[in-house]
Amino acid sequence: MLDKHKHLMHPLPQKEVLKRLLVYTAAHKKMIAAAMVLLIGGTAADLAGPILVQIFIDDYLTPRNLAAGALTALASAYLFLYAGSAVMNYFQSYMFQKIALAIIQQLRIDVFEKVEKLGLSFFDQFPAGGLISRITNDTEQVKELYITVLAIFVQNIVFLVGIFAAMFYLNPQLAAFALFILPVILCVIFLYRKYSAVYYAEMSEKLSDLNARLNESIQGMAVIQMFRQERRMNREFSGINQSHHNAWLKSMKLDGLLLRPAVDLISILALILVLTYFGITSFDSPVEIGIIYAFVNYLDRFFEPVNQIMQRLSLFQQAMISAGRVFRLMDHDEPGPVQKPKKDLKIQDGNIEFSRVSFSYTEGERVLKDISFQVKKGEMLAIVGHTGSGKSSIINALMRFYEIDAGNILIDGHSVDTFPENELRKNIGLVLQDAFMFTGDMKSNINLYDQSISEKKLLQAVKDAGAETFIQKLSGGLAHEVGERGSTLSTGERQLLSFARTIVRDPRILILDEATASVDTETETEIQKALERAREGRTTIAVAHRLSTIRNADHILVLKEGSIAEEGTHETLIAQKGIYERMYRLQKGGG
Amino acid sequence: MKVFYDLSWYFKQEKLRYGTGIFILMLVSALTLIPPYVIGLVVDLIDGQNMTQEILIYWMTILAAVGVLSYILRYIWRILIFGASIKLARILRSNLYSHFTKMSSSFYQKRRTGDLMAHATNDIRAVEQTAGAGVLTLVDSLTMGSFVIITMAITISWELTLIALIPMPFMAFATAKYGSMLHHRFGSAQAAFSALNNKVQESMSGIRVTKAFGYEEEEISAFRSQSDDVVKKNMAVARVDALFDPTITIVVGLSYFLSVAFGAYFVINEAITIGQLTSFTVYLGLLIWPMLAFGWFFNIIERGRASYDRIRRLLFVEQEIKDVKGAIESPPAGDVVFDIKEFTYDGEKGLFDIYIHIPRGRTLGIAGKTGSGKSTLSRTLLRDFDIQKGRVLVEGQPLDTYEKDALLTSIAYVPQDHFLFSATIADNIAFGKPEASYKDIVKAAAAAGIHEDIIHFTEGYETMVGERGVTLSGGQKQRLSIARALLLDPEILILDDSLSAVDARTEELILETLKKERKSKTTIITAHRLSALNHADEIIVLEKGRISERGNHEELLLKNRWYAKMYQTQQLESELEGGGDNA
Repeated sequence: MLDKHKHLMHPLPQKEVLKRLLVYTAAHKKMIAAAMVLLIGGTAADLAGPILVQIFIDDYLTPRNLAAGALTALASAYLFLYAGSAVMNYFQSYMFQKIALAIIQQLRIDVFEKVEKLGLSFFDQFPAGGLISRITNDTEQVKELYITVLAIFVQNIVFLVGIFAAMFYLNPQLAAFALFILPVILCVIFLYRKYSAVYYAEMSEKLSDLNARLNESIQGMAVIQMFRQERRMNREFSGINQSHHNAWLKSMKLDGLLLRPAVDLISILALILVLTYFGITSFDSPVEIGIIYAFVNYLDRFFEPVNQIMQRLSLFQQAMISAGRVFRLMDHDEPGPVQKPKKDLKIQDGNIEFSRVSFSYTEGERVLKDISFQVKKGEMLAIVGHTGSGKSSIINALMRFYEIDAGNILIDGHSVDTFPENELRKNIGLVLQDAFMFTGDMKSNINLYDQSISEKKLLQAVKDAGAETFIQKLSGGLAHEVGERGSTLSTGERQLLSFARTIVRDPRILILDEATASVDTETETEIQKALERAREGRTTIAVAHRLSTIRNADHILVLKEGSIAEEGTHETLIAQKGIYERMYRLQKGGG
Repeated sequence: MKVFYDLSWYFKQEKLRYGTGIFILMLVSALTLIPPYVIGLVVDLIDGQNMTQEILIYWMTILAAVGVLSYILRYIWRILIFGASIKLARILRSNLYSHFTKMSSSFYQKRRTGDLMAHATNDIRAVEQTAGAGVLTLVDSLTMGSFVIITMAITISWELTLIALIPMPFMAFATAKYGSMLHHRFGSAQAAFSALNNKVQESMSGIRVTKAFGYEEEEISAFRSQSDDVVKKNMAVARVDALFDPTITIVVGLSYFLSVAFGAYFVINEAITIGQLTSFTVYLGLLIWPMLAFGWFFNIIERGRASYDRIRRLLFVEQEIKDVKGAIESPPAGDVVFDIKEFTYDGEKGLFDIYIHIPRGRTLGIAGKTGSGKSTLSRTLLRDFDIQKGRVLVEGQPLDTYEKDALLTSIAYVPQDHFLFSATIADNIAFGKPEASYKDIVKAAAAAGIHEDIIHFTEGYETMVGERGVTLSGGQKQRLSIARALLLDPEILILDDSLSAVDARTEELILETLKKERKSKTTIITAHRLSALNHADEIIVLEKGRISERGNHEELLLKNRWYAKMYQTQQLESELEGGGDNA
């Protein structure tokens, strides 16, 4: 990993993360307000129940004042409140989840959009595995964060506040006493948070070790068996398994000490407090029984929300870290080359000129040095050279995947950065050596989202690319669903498809990144024929390995360490008695 | 409940933990009955103005004792029951792992890594839940539920108990129902998420195509619609999930309503006291959990059963290749003979009429197009599969007369698709011989032409390989896996197209070393690039599983058939590839 990407591994500080997370809620202000109203309404209705019972007990039952009308009113109010609370709570819970999901979707799209627009240099250098997990797994964690915070924390806190409000309404003095429970609970929460952060981190680390080892072993089982290391691997796995087990047991013990059992203990202490208060009060004056009923009832319900909140704490902390990583990635700026487009500048012929082009991926390490050449419409340039000689860099520069350091790349006499991005993409067709296949059918792999391509044009492109024969053999033809990463197709077939994908767009310029990979003779002939048809009337640049391609080129460049070592046509290169000539002689001698 | 029967072996094995745990759980249930009783008592004392300081202190002390005792007992049963379930997870995971190490390649061809991982993680988790939370919910709902109901009925009023309980079964029924709905919907939400994951994976791997065609916007909108689906599926979950609390509210509310309404009637008739009514409602509150637990219980064991069945099905897959009785225990050394009349696999492709004799110490080269059977032929030596008509002999004995372990001791195989472990480079080279000395490791690395590369890494041989470490090129990985095989100095070395990503000069160097170091040992090399076979004592060319040409390099060139033509073309192309070097 490069230094400029290292900061992406460290999450943003929590404070900043919270701020950013809050910004995302802004778009849903109204919905959040509505959900809050429902939440407060639902909680109030829910909590009003015991008060109604208290009124019933103290005003009607104890004095035996059984007025039918009043009782009916109380009863219907009670039932109505519960029904109303149920309905309101259903909708607030639903709405909070909806908000959380909407936010997370926006976040996901934002980060995906951001990443998709980063320059290619980023993708060439940042490990893909980490990137994918930022966009999916980490955002999934953030989803938990929103759902936890919005749905669980907010709900339960409102509920707790509601309970206190009701208690204050019933008996301010006792309610004030009951407030003493809060520091005790906060203390337990603080302790739990402190230790669970450590224990859970350890457990999740052990779990990821465990899964990584399992995953790796399954994938490398052939090697393990080949080298007869089953016993050692079993032993090592048992070790990891055991230490995961120990970490789990430890965090389970912590849960046992500080979660439910502890909260249950506190709830008994609270009960003792309430009963003692009423007991002592009753020494001097009578106590309203209904109020005891209500208090006991509230206490009963007070502790479930506390449990809920505490159980989510460790999850919350993990999610904050994930969110921090996601925002880091969103803040990362590494744009591709920027166009300075002149309006309506069009690529007419597609004549290409490289004029003293120099280029480097990392500063100071030139991979292209002072490269100049020209290719005209209808001509084909072949670029030859060993790995690392700079062949692909020429393509990267021309495609504007990377910015060049010096010199000029001209198309039809205009600098390449003066064309609108669209115009470039439309008119420079790149045929990759290993066509990347997307999930979907053959057709969608050829038109690649472009619905404006007519069926007729598509069929013609398939025919021109020489892909017709093999596509017809597939079940479903063009409607054939491509397997994972196109695994059902051979390399040669994928290359033919890549051809079709490019020429269906009728680009003025054709760039070919030819594969060395083994293709059978039949496919090679097909590819050759396709190239012959495709290059007609176009400017073609081919990074070439196959003799057949090279010999047909109008102009050949031999690259060495980023410079042009030899160039010319087939004939002039023969006359030059360089590598090309030797190669040719070899062929004649052998054949 | 079948899953409990299936897991009974474990319950028996851990009967002390489970027995004690369940006993304590029941004790805790009994203890939770005391506070409501005390509440009722205190309320009645206050109501009757009979409360005294002594009585108050007495009962409050009892409450405090109950609280502390419950706390301790709750902690203990968790350790016992959940501890046992975690142990079960560990045992199952180890069993699965060791079972995996016994499975042959066909097992892995039929199953995807992701699925096997899911069995070892999610399924084990579901079984762990069954053995932990499943036992808890069952015991708790039965004991606590019945204790509370019995107490209500006996100490207060059985009529009122019956009335108050009317809405309760609906809660157990509803939570069970919601639970299974939730499970299904959650399944499709998971599926949508993994589809999104695949989409991202695809987008990131295909970024070059996207950028080349300028389709970033379209990719983004495809991603958007994919994530729309995720939201939709998750909303389906939320719709059910949001039902839980309101359902509980309604059921409990109704239950309270019934008990207060009818309880008041009983109070007026002096069948019960007001204090009893208060404790009755508290008891009612205690019933919520057993009802919920009962609903959950069915969900937990439903999942547990399906998961445990899947795990058992995996564990029941038999080892394909087993040693025969009396198999030779000493590793073979000597001539290798392939004598194969017919060997088909996967239905069609196969090997036919192949007879090759490799005297000890010689090198065999195998050439041919992709799919001609090169790899299959070399792999027959590994006894991954048994041959239908024909046999392969080492030291004059068929392969199956040797213990597989003994056979593999003699062979080192370097596959096409190199696989390295996330460990240091030294550990990777010493994979087959962890006790190897540093000197031997370096020697093997040098022989594989990778030593120079390694010492250029900042941490040399201690450099980590993989996502968290250095990224190696294909050629470097290949050479590392060759070094790994060379370190064993095997009697028979098989290089299965494992020089393909190595450049010509390094290839030459490796082959030279092999020739020097392995004078008395047998080597088999398959290759698409024929330069790797030059040195071989005999080269065979396979075509559709049959030998189409054989001889040494010079003889084959003279024949001027496929081998000769292929060789020349490749020579020219490698000239072009390395063209710059010689200019």
